Amino acid sequence: MIESLALILASSLRLATPLMFAGLGEYMAEKAGMINISIEGMMLAGAFSAILGATVTGSPVLGLVFGILAGVMIAFVHATFSYRLTVNTYVVGLTLNLLVLGLTSFLLDTLDLADSQLSKFEIPFLSDLPLVGQAVFNQRWPAYLLWILIPTVWFVMYRTRWGLDMRAIGENPAAVDATGINVLKRQRQGLLLAGAFSGLGGAYLSVAEVGLFNQNMTAARGYVVIAAVIFGGWTIKGTIAGCLLFGAADAMRLALPALGFTLNAQLLIASPYILALVALVVFARRSRAPAAYGRPFVRGLT
Amino acid sequence: MQMSTPKAGAPAHNAGAPAAVELRGITKRYGSIVVCDDVRLTVHRGEIHGLLGQNGAGKSTLVKILIGLAQRDAGEILLEGRTVDISDPLAAADLGIAMVHQHFSLVEELTVWENVTLGEAGRPDARRTRDLVRDIGLRYGLDVDPDARVEDLSTGERQRVEIIKCLRRDPSLLILDEPTSVLTLAESRELFTVLRHVAQGEGKTVILISHKLDEILSATDHVTIMRSGRIVAQRATAATDERELAREMVGRELSKWVAASALGDSDALIDPSLSTDPAMLSPVEPIHEDEFPVRLRIHEARVSRDGRPLLQGLSLDLRAGEILGLAGVEGNGQQVLGDLLSSLVELDSGTVEMDGVALATGRPGVMHMAGIGVIPEDRHASGCVLDMSVAENLVMSTVESVARRGFVSRKAIRANAERLIEQFEIATPSPDTPMRQLSGGNQQKVVLARELSLNPRVLVAAYPTRGLDVGAIEYMTERLHDAAASGIAVLLISTELEEILTLSHHIAVIHRGSIVGQMRRVDVDAERLGLMMGGQVV
Amino acid sequence: MPARWVGVMSTIGLYALSIAVALGLAGVLVSLTGASPLDAVQAIFQGSLSDASALGLTLDKAAPLLIVAVGTCVATSAGLFSIGQEGQVVIGATVGATVAIYLHGPGPLVLIVTLFGAALGGAAWAAVAALLFYWRGVPVVISTLLLIYIAYQVVFYAVTQPWFLMETGRNVAAPQSDQIRPDAWLPRIGEYPGLNFSLMVVIAVVLAIGTKVVLDRTTWGFRLRMLGLNRNAARRAGVSAVLLGSGALMISGAFAGLAGGALLTGGNHRLQPGISENVGWDGLLVALVARNNPVVAIPVAFFFGVLRAGGGFLASTGVPRYIVDVVTAILVLAVVFPPAYQYLRREARARRLARSLAKAGGSA
Repeated sequence: MIESLALILASSLRLATPLMFAGLGEYMAEKAGMINISIEGMMLAGAFSAILGATVTGSPVLGLVFGILAGVMIAFVHATFSYRLTVNTYVVGLTLNLLVLGLTSFLLDTLDLADSQLSKFEIPFLSDLPLVGQAVFNQRWPAYLLWILIPTVWFVMYRTRWGLDMRAIGENPAAVDATGINVLKRQRQGLLLAGAFSGLGGAYLSVAEVGLFNQNMTAARGYVVIAAVIFGGWTIKGTIAGCLLFGAADAMRLALPALGFTLNAQLLIASPYILALVALVVFARRSRAPAAYGRPFVRGLT
Repeated sequence: MQMSTPKAGAPAHNAGAPAAVELRGITKRYGSIVVCDDVRLTVHRGEIHGLLGQNGAGKSTLVKILIGLAQRDAGEILLEGRTVDISDPLAAADLGIAMVHQHFSLVEELTVWENVTLGEAGRPDARRTRDLVRDIGLRYGLDVDPDARVEDLSTGERQRVEIIKCLRRDPSLLILDEPTSVLTLAESRELFTVLRHVAQGEGKTVILISHKLDEILSATDHVTIMRSGRIVAQRATAATDERELAREMVGRELSKWVAASALGDSDALIDPSLSTDPAMLSPVEPIHEDEFPVRLRIHEARVSRDGRPLLQGLSLDLRAGEILGLAGVEGNGQQVLGDLLSSLVELDSGTVEMDGVALATGRPGVMHMAGIGVIPEDRHASGCVLDMSVAENLVMSTVESVARRGFVSRKAIRANAERLIEQFEIATPSPDTPMRQLSGGNQQKVVLARELSLNPRVLVAAYPTRGLDVGAIEYMTERLHDAAASGIAVLLISTELEEILTLSHHIAVIHRGSIVGQMRRVDVDAERLGLMMGGQVV
Repeated sequence: MPARWVGVMSTIGLYALSIAVALGLAGVLVSLTGASPLDAVQAIFQGSLSDASALGLTLDKAAPLLIVAVGTCVATSAGLFSIGQEGQVVIGATVGATVAIYLHGPGPLVLIVTLFGAALGGAAWAAVAALLFYWRGVPVVISTLLLIYIAYQVVFYAVTQPWFLMETGRNVAAPQSDQIRPDAWLPRIGEYPGLNFSLMVVIAVVLAIGTKVVLDRTTWGFRLRMLGLNRNAARRAGVSAVLLGSGALMISGAFAGLAGGALLTGGNHRLQPGISENVGWDGLLVALVARNNPVVAIPVAFFFGVLRAGGGFLASTGVPRYIVDVVTAILVLAVVFPPAYQYLRREARARRLARSLAKAGGSA
């Protein structure tokens, strides 16, 4: 029993890791009032480019870098269209998602991609801890980056001027504009950062967790991440908790049949999305969204 | 258009020193319209300079030019004798010019110190900024807790934060745009004490923009009056009086009631000795309480949102044929009361009755069907649809009346529009003109025309003259009177005491979501009214 | 007016340039596969427009896109941005298949009830999003997205359950439903070898024009536009944002569901997990490109239909069919770029002008 629990725990964490990377990026974007629909495309592009990079350079580590850059590139296009040219962010985000899905599927059929996977890194002693040891301390090494990134994101958002600007923009962009801060520029920066994090999340999925790229590999995980941020009430802690929860739901899908529970397969596959919807129903009203949430900033309109 | 020299009563200036601000021949055009025409203005260090004028007189454009939000077409700006170029707000800030806007630009979710440091460079230093907020607070008498969240502060406190944000950059010139519209009388007095200290104690220059005469007279050293983009008079405040200021501001002798109301002179409205002056003919005829039946009765209304109470047992009787003025400082429940009567808000408890029949609250269209017309406080936000035509806006709530079997008749919409445009003297190029292209006064007329065309039994007018010029104010005043005279029960919601005094038969005072007192117009006592608006029951 | 001409020309030039760049990018991708871009264009033309049967295929492909797009226009007019049409298409097809397979009676009647049921199914799926939005404030964008992925599993479930829609006597390898009765198929107009297309094409065009009229000319459309342009003002004028907004969302869902029914009765004639062929997504794009005008959506849907019909033909030349999705998306970006760019240019020019005037004024 303990053993299977440890296994489920390990797989929950493993499946939640890409979500957590992307979740940190999405958290920052949403704090600045943006609902970043193109996160799905960023993750998928990251996943594909990581394998592509690993194939081209022969190094999965460089693949990871490729993945991050791909996420940033999608973010750049989105930022240019929506936060420089002010085209509706959902229109651009959605189109980008379809573009990335088509492009990666096309290239997957066209190019020869190699399988490539980053190694595990076992932390001595700690990995011997009962129950959690293997789950937490024996992972593909980029997962440990989270231990640095989570506090860093907190520091950036709550201790730097940039973070202050971002939080203020999410609440009252017009007031921030009045103080001479370039609101759209900050939002573009936030989106680029979200792109980097989401690209990393996607890259982790392909080059660390699975070791290869499948068509439509992210399968709406990006949208689940958005739900995780809302579930988390726009806090870092909550976002991480949300990602872990959705990761666990995903793990159950794999684990329950193995444990001998016969549950309907489709229900299990749909469970993260259903859970995300339920979470939204419960939490969307309970916590306070940024006041300018999802509304584009146009100067002169109040 | 003579430059006035400082007169007795004003602080002495060193004749040799250059002026703090000097504008030479500033001109600004928008298209063919000249909004600032050869403006020449000199303001000296250490003085509070009043800038007086109606809406549209050009004072806000002039100020925009000073703080870099607009660019002049011609002319020169000199600060301390040096010619400067103010290309954007950052340049203005570098030159030591700061402005407190009429509408606050604070981020509610952040703390006071975070708001104060917003927009600066370098790492935000919590401890230093907190100390700074306290220091400035001590120095100028602007007490506020640096760690409080702005959303928890009162309006007066928020304005203090706004002023601290300005003073923190140690500006040499501080501009305030209509700063008292959101303050109680007591808060206004405090503000002027602070400004006096800023000017005389710290040697800074203050420009106070206002359309209220009594404020200008009591708080400034010099006053400049603008009309139609030009400077029409400059006076030492001590050497002028309100009659002269009013005349210069409007450019003609006004019916005194309108003058007193529009120009913010409440003393003239209350002083009984003036009422005997034949020129001071009051349009308000006293009416007897039981003469008219109660039309609308709100009883023990309670509403709260997010755990914050907005209405706390508010009870109000509105009689047919009378105008009930609801006085009070902004943010005491006026908005939610207006929303309640527009069916936008559901009561937690209490009742709303029309002629004795209870109305369901918060159900779309119910209040409307019962005959309640509403002129909302913010025309743009909820009174009209700017991207639809004037004609469409005129039938917004009665689209059935111009439709047959579900299809809208364009001919009927047009006919209705043409009738109302003529009847209410709406200036529009055509009924099909988008609402967006109309002036503020005409947009207001459209809203008024629509609401009155429904033959309402109750008319709620929230801040009906806000942002309008004197001509439009006169128009609105007349229309509201006509409405009451025709038997409509009118609820006038306003923060401008003068407006309420001019128009109302009855006055009720709202504070923290309930009525703290009522009186007949003829029994008004200014001191008592002021105290009640501050929340004291007298 | 030469200045005006310059403006018009530069607008046209900008569109041409931006579309050329988009097609250029697509060309580069095609070259990657070793095929010639010119051949690809020719293949698309051959598959979509070269003769009557190709044209018929294009029309068949365009019709469901148009129906989805028209529904999207309704929701957008009410100020709601729903992007879950794909899920509504799938659910529509599932409900339609259930009706078509289990309902007995005369063929035409079954067809009508099938399409009606499909529309109802799509509306019900959209109603979930409406309910979550107005009851709990869940953003429509997110809920409709998540519902798509739940819908995908619903179809899969349906066609893998023997008691439900699983094909009789088949195993789980390629799950699908039984074929629906031929007399309940959508009738085709025109006789082979002439122009031959599904009745759905006619229905789609009628719906597009009808919706335009309803939005522009009826009291319901008037209220809907009011709600979309200014929610607060509409509510003050007695419009129930909840009822009208939910209604618009559900109508949008009904259109998408109807498109699913059309795919079922006019295309495969059986329910398969991949039945939607991304019609929901692309229909949404059609509405976006047509700027939410149902009548403009007609030619846009036709163009998308050309790409889809040609894309099938293209696959036979060795270029993966996904290239069509890529081209579609790039073209959407190419079409939204010029107006936004021009707007930005105008703003920048106005600022520069103001600044230079200020400088001139200062030195005068």
